[in-house]
Amino acid sequence: MIAVLGLVVGVVLGLVLTPDVPLAMEPYLPIAVVAALDAVFGAFRAFLDGIFDDKVFVISFISNVLIAAVIVFLGDKLGVGAQLSTGVVVVLGIRIFSNVAAIRRHLFHA
Amino acid sequence: MVQKTVQPERLPPQATMGLLDYLTTHTLDEDYAFVSDRRATRDAPAPQRRIGVFGALVMVVFAILVVTAAAQTSRNSVSDERQRQELVVQVNQARRQLAAENARLVALRAESAVLETRQLRSDTSSRGLRDTIHLLGIKAGTLAVRGPGVRVVADNAPGADSARNEVLDSDLQKLVNGLWEAGAEAIAINGQRLTNLSTIRLAGGAITVNARSLRRPYVVTAIGNQDTLPARFAETSSGRAWLDLQREVGLRLSIKPVSSLRLPGAEVFLRYANQKETGGGAS
Repeated sequence: MIAVLGLVVGVVLGLVLTPDVPLAMEPYLPIAVVAALDAVFGAFRAFLDGIFDDKVFVISFISNVLIAAVIVFLGDKLGVGAQLSTGVVVVLGIRIFSNVAAIRRHLFHA
Repeated sequence: MVQKTVQPERLPPQATMGLLDYLTTHTLDEDYAFVSDRRATRDAPAPQRRIGVFGALVMVVFAILVVTAAAQTSRNSVSDERQRQELVVQVNQARRQLAAENARLVALRAESAVLETRQLRSDTSSRGLRDTIHLLGIKAGTLAVRGPGVRVVADNAPGADSARNEVLDSDLQKLVNGLWEAGAEAIAINGQRLTNLSTIRLAGGAITVNARSLRRPYVVTAIGNQDTLPARFAETSSGRAWLDLQREVGLRLSIKPVSSLRLPGAEVFLRYANQKETGGGAS
């Protein structure tokens, strides 16, 4: 499957290149990863639901990552960065959990 | 989406539902449903449901993101660890330097004592002066002494859990006072020689003597008449107080005569109490 292939290629690329994260971007990387995780799980669920769409996936991925990073950036500027990132993680965590639950129902019919 | 087509005037779900309810019921991006609905209504010929090149590219980006974040985190922890190690090295260096300087101080002191002795030995009249200095050093506690005496071991009550059945600084003070009263000539607690400037006090939960924290059990070594010291100590008021402490609180105290004890000297620094330079008295 092409998605798994992409995942493997990405892991290998990341391990080989080990790109240096600029210091200014460093605080937003973990949040971006959580947002990306949400987009990926959402896409997988949509795929199992039979309503997956490539374009929606790309757009939701990019917008998720950007919005999460921007929220934390704004929070940092306002002095509530830690609280806002907690909020983002909570919301995305809830979504990830229920998406995974839906995926489980699809895969195991349980 | 359904509301929008059927009842356009109804509020969207995120306005009517609680935030958490909305979150848990709308976990999937609504765009997926929206696009697929639109396709169904438009009767698109071949709905693309496979993951295309762009999806794969996004997966590549996703994997790079995850790996980079993980690598960054582990690298950060490595650099934190390195900083800690550097600090530890610095602390150890400073400690070693301090120890070396202390050793040098001790060596210089010994040298000055030797020179003093040589100077005073040069003529007979000053030999008496040297003996006086020696005696004063023993009395003040700055010179090590050897002799018979008693070893007193004081410890908390078995299973002590509160200050009530632990040895307090005041108990040790009583013990030392009683030993002086009983005729002790030199006393050390856990190897800390008591001088005329020594204190026995509680500092941060530990008993501190000569600014050194002690651990229990407290071993008090006293030079004196090993036969009469225990009995005379028991007769003093401090001895009676300790008898009460043993009986009522359960503190442990054992006094054993020892034929030969060696007590170390203590370092005494005088910063302000300088003798006059022209003063004739023996220091």
